[in-house]
Amino acid sequence: MAGVRDLPERINPLKAPAGTRLALMGNEAIARGAVESGIYVVTGYPGTPSSEVIMTLQRFGKDLDMYVEWAVNEKVAFELALGASIGGARSLATMKAPGVNIASDPILSAAYCGVNGALVMLVADDPGPITTQTEQDDRWFSKLAKLPTITPSNPQEAKDYVKVAVMLSERLQLPVILRTTTRVNHTVGDVVLGATEQPRKFKGFKRDPPRFVRAGMRWNLERHKWLNKQLEKVEGILNELGISINEVHGDGDVCVVTEGVTYNYVTEALNLLGVKEGVRVLKVGQLYPPPKEFLKKGLRGCGKVVVVEELDPYLEETVKTLLYDEGISIDIHGKHDSLLPMEGELNVLMVAKALSRVIGVPLPRTLQVSRETPALPPRPPPLCPGCPHRASYIAILKGISKAGFRRDEVPIFGDIGCYALSVEPPLNAIWTEHSMGASISMAAGMKLGGNDKPVIATIGDSTFFHSGIPALLEAVHKRINMLVIILDNTVVAMTGHQSTPSWSVTETGRKAKPVLLEDVVKALGVDNLAVIDPFDVDDMANVVAQYLRKPGVNVIIARAPCALMKVRAEGVKAVYRVDPEACIGCMACIRGTGCPAMYVDENGKAAIIEEDCTGCGLCAYFCPRDAIKEVRHE
Amino acid sequence: MSRGIKEVFNILIASVGGQGGLTLSRTIAIAAVSEGLSVRTGETLGMSQRFGSVTSFVRMGPQNAVMSPTFSEGMAHVMVGLELTESVRNLRYLSEGGKILVADTVKPPITASIGTARMPSKDELVGALTSVDPEAVIVPARKIAYDVSNPRAANMVMLGVFNRIFGILSDDAVINAILTLLPGRRGETSVAAYKAGIKWAEENKVVQG
Ligand code: SF4
Ligand code: SF4
Repeated sequence: MAGVRDLPERINPLKAPAGTRLALMGNEAIARGAVESGIYVVTGYPGTPSSEVIMTLQRFGKDLDMYVEWAVNEKVAFELALGASIGGARSLATMKAPGVNIASDPILSAAYCGVNGALVMLVADDPGPITTQTEQDDRWFSKLAKLPTITPSNPQEAKDYVKVAVMLSERLQLPVILRTTTRVNHTVGDVVLGATEQPRKFKGFKRDPPRFVRAGMRWNLERHKWLNKQLEKVEGILNELGISINEVHGDGDVCVVTEGVTYNYVTEALNLLGVKEGVRVLKVGQLYPPPKEFLKKGLRGCGKVVVVEELDPYLEETVKTLLYDEGISIDIHGKHDSLLPMEGELNVLMVAKALSRVIGVPLPRTLQVSRETPALPPRPPPLCPGCPHRASYIAILKGISKAGFRRDEVPIFGDIGCYALSVEPPLNAIWTEHSMGASISMAAGMKLGGNDKPVIATIGDSTFFHSGIPALLEAVHKRINMLVIILDNTVVAMTGHQSTPSWSVTETGRKAKPVLLEDVVKALGVDNLAVIDPFDVDDMANVVAQYLRKPGVNVIIARAPCALMKVRAEGVKAVYRVDPEACIGCMACIRGTGCPAMYVDENGKAAIIEEDCTGCGLCAYFCPRDAIKEVRHE
Repeated sequence: MSRGIKEVFNILIASVGGQGGLTLSRTIAIAAVSEGLSVRTGETLGMSQRFGSVTSFVRMGPQNAVMSPTFSEGMAHVMVGLELTESVRNLRYLSEGGKILVADTVKPPITASIGTARMPSKDELVGALTSVDPEAVIVPARKIAYDVSNPRAANMVMLGVFNRIFGILSDDAVINAILTLLPGRRGETSVAAYKAGIKWAEENKVVQG
């Protein structure tokens, strides 16, 4: 929900009484689930599609007596949650798929030490991929880390399964992964609320080295045996608690095994095909370890099996192994026989087509519409009007020329954040965007590899705090000649404007010690440092040119607030307007900025959409005729 | 005034990030749940929220009848478009006989403005829509919203037109949903825009049945 405000208690998703029915997004439902399960410490690093869990708790959960704050990265977040849990507090750590990679080191060891208070990890995968760099399937990670993993299929289950995860975690003394996909995290659905529970805080911590001391210790083998024993108990504990997250629907000779959001596609596809009987649907909520007894029983008597799942053929391979062990040989369809694709999201129609082939019923004609539409210009997301990154990259590109280099001989390494959008025309700025912090290390690596031309790394402030610090340390220590530009918009912008370590008060009102970028950068021992407002394009271009020619690790902090955040906080004080008389239609402004508030009008002149302009003035900087003028609001 | 529904009703909302497509879908979801219906919305939040193409799927129906957050091509009963290019882009989702309600706004994408892609004219865009639904309702939503002093509330004008035509939700439920979602003055001007949309639909006799 938009905006920070006080909602009447009866519709506040975290405070409304049990039994209330609300329209909640999956992530809001998970936030409610945390309140219903007595979780005390909630932490994570922002990442689509996981961010709204913490954002919801921060917005609507004031005075709920929970600790809900962002951490500097996912590894630290997981370790904070683990520390809380071994002391008996209940905790939740949230992250997107690549965040799991950052946190994987402590997670794997946590399976050996286990927890005392519940530790739930929300891992949000992204079939599509819609906003993520890869289609990483974290069900394999659960298998690698040997952590019990469950998955919901809709917002109601997303809420309810937080509690299931908490119960499982405390019974098994293991962290439990709640694995979701974007279509559950970001779907709004009707959710019936349950009763809330008092948060569970620190109880005590006893010294117990075999549990909590890892590196190379003789007892690690024993802990591994303990872990394997715990994993064998998962299905039994769920049954004993009367929790049915694995369900069988219908009966018949054809068995469809499915999980998460795809369960909905299967059910609706069968409806569309008009298939009322002869099909048995096994909905798997327990992803790891696989619910062997449930699957064995559910698949008994099946003539053929179709596995419908997104991302990798994880369940398909699980079912194959299981049936092989049982000595059963039947046809298993899914991804390995190309019935369904190995990549991308599924939808109802794709599933209906697949099922129609296996079951042998035709697809209804109404689903076969095709429409001719005129060719349309694509609309990839651009940098917002007034975005400071636009100014920074314009200055960087100018600086490269001023220093006497061609644009195509100075690679600009990018990093994760809105500024990656500078890859699109007309800026065509960054050359790479890889993983958090990699701009600095990859640029340094290219120098080490023997490139004698300059290299530039561009990285956002929060990404720098997250993973850029060790990379910069490495570059300084190895005396690499490079230019690092920290694009400091003072916020984690791309994921919805979360706090960074430079804030003095967090979203919840907690007083924090602001950690200043320039202090950190100086302490790392860089050779030259300048702090610049990127909207002073010429000044910044001059410093870029100068630093490109100076040896050493040179850093520019380009500091200007995120325009979207600024507009929300302060409103727009002035906008720019094109004078159509003066405009000669050269398009220098639009080609120079790519500002989405600008367009070409019917007469071939540049024009600005008033309500989209934030008044940065960059377009005016490019105009050779001075045709773009500031108009101040009263 | 709620007429209720017996079967799942699919709405596709086509917009440009920042136009309020997500607020519109959320408003419908809140109103529908408050009327005892089940809902699902499917949308991709993230970077596209800012000036990229945004497609929202909104589904409502009797309790337990709605499951998937999205629907496939040819399944939308109605398309509510906040921008003409994006409406044409999403035409494949409209069902046979589906209804089109669109704002007459055109926002050329950057790719067209910098000349890397051709932009169809407004007439071409409207023509593409009316070739599918000859009775497509084209609403001067931005102007109507402007007149109630909030040009950003064109989404709520479209909601008024939609609800006046289909009447699935009661006005009270919609207005409460708007006020739940949008605090303070924004909520008030949004309600005014919603009512202006209803009035426009009545005056222009686009009201069905
Ligand atoms: S959200 Fe902020 S940082 Fe991101 S593109 Fe928009 S103005 Fe730039
Ligand atoms: S002043 Fe120009 S570049 Fe800046 S936001 Fe307005 S139209 Fe865009």
